[in-house]
Amino acid sequence: MKGNELFNLQELLSRQKLLICFSGPFSHSVIEELGKAVRNHLENERIEKSAIMDVFSVYVEQAQNVRNYAASREAQGRPIPANSGIVVIGKDEDHYVVSSGNLVERDDAEGLEAMLEKLRGLDKAGLKAAYKEQSRKPRDAAANGAGLGLIDMARKASRPLDYSLREVDDTYFFFSLEVQL
Amino acid sequence: MDSLRIEATSCSPLIDFDAAAGVLRIEGESYPENSFDFYAPVFTWLEEFLKEPAPPVVLEIGLSYLNTSSIKCMIDVLEMLDGAHQKGHTVSVRWHYDSDNDRALDMAEEFAEDVSLPFEILAH
Repeated sequence: MKGNELFNLQELLSRQKLLICFSGPFSHSVIEELGKAVRNHLENERIEKSAIMDVFSVYVEQAQNVRNYAASREAQGRPIPANSGIVVIGKDEDHYVVSSGNLVERDDAEGLEAMLEKLRGLDKAGLKAAYKEQSRKPRDAAANGAGLGLIDMARKASRPLDYSLREVDDTYFFFSLEVQL
Repeated sequence: MDSLRIEATSCSPLIDFDAAAGVLRIEGESYPENSFDFYAPVFTWLEEFLKEPAPPVVLEIGLSYLNTSSIKCMIDVLEMLDGAHQKGHTVSVRWHYDSDNDRALDMAEEFAEDVSLPFEILAH
């Protein structure tokens, strides 16, 4: 990358007061190592343990969602373009913000939107009920997840989940998710 | 019946199920690459164990963090034990948490809500 591009990228990142930013192949070991680094950093900031665990757990859910989605499409013979996922942890005044973005197939965009709109309309009690309902459904071994991640993030967030779906080409939408803690 | 032991890693807990003593321990943090694969031997072992007239069973849990797919697995483990409890087995859960970790307490309380077996939550 050329020097001035690198400068612009770094400037953009530092304006967001980022703790970490990762874009590239999401392997389990990358998710784990970045997670450890974030926890160490937050422990040095002397913030409450519960706040550290909230940032860490929302980060793990987002990173594992990006990774599991890419892995499931690869298993179905439709790999997502490489390294198109990103996860970012930043600070906005006194609270932390965990965001992620990744390409999703056109056919999945509508379901995601419906799910997020539903969650955005629920209060704390409604989110808890949705969480309990989902957690009682049988495990789906093919899904590599319990379908609880988004609901759990919505419960931990201090305001409704913010998201966007932007058309990239005939096949993909770029899905972004922002969770304010 | 054989005991089951899976050593802890940085992202998966210790599993130490002692069939003879009836003490089942799960300790550490749980966010493995694939939770359903990780917990598969746990489900298989428990299914076998609960078939026979088992000794009184205590599940000792010391989990400080679980990702959502691990939470789902733990709900399923608790449901299996709760089913045994309802059939008359002597089964109980002792959930240990670090008193400066509020989130671990919240989590334990939510697990306890959905089962009828004796469920103790202990601060350390």
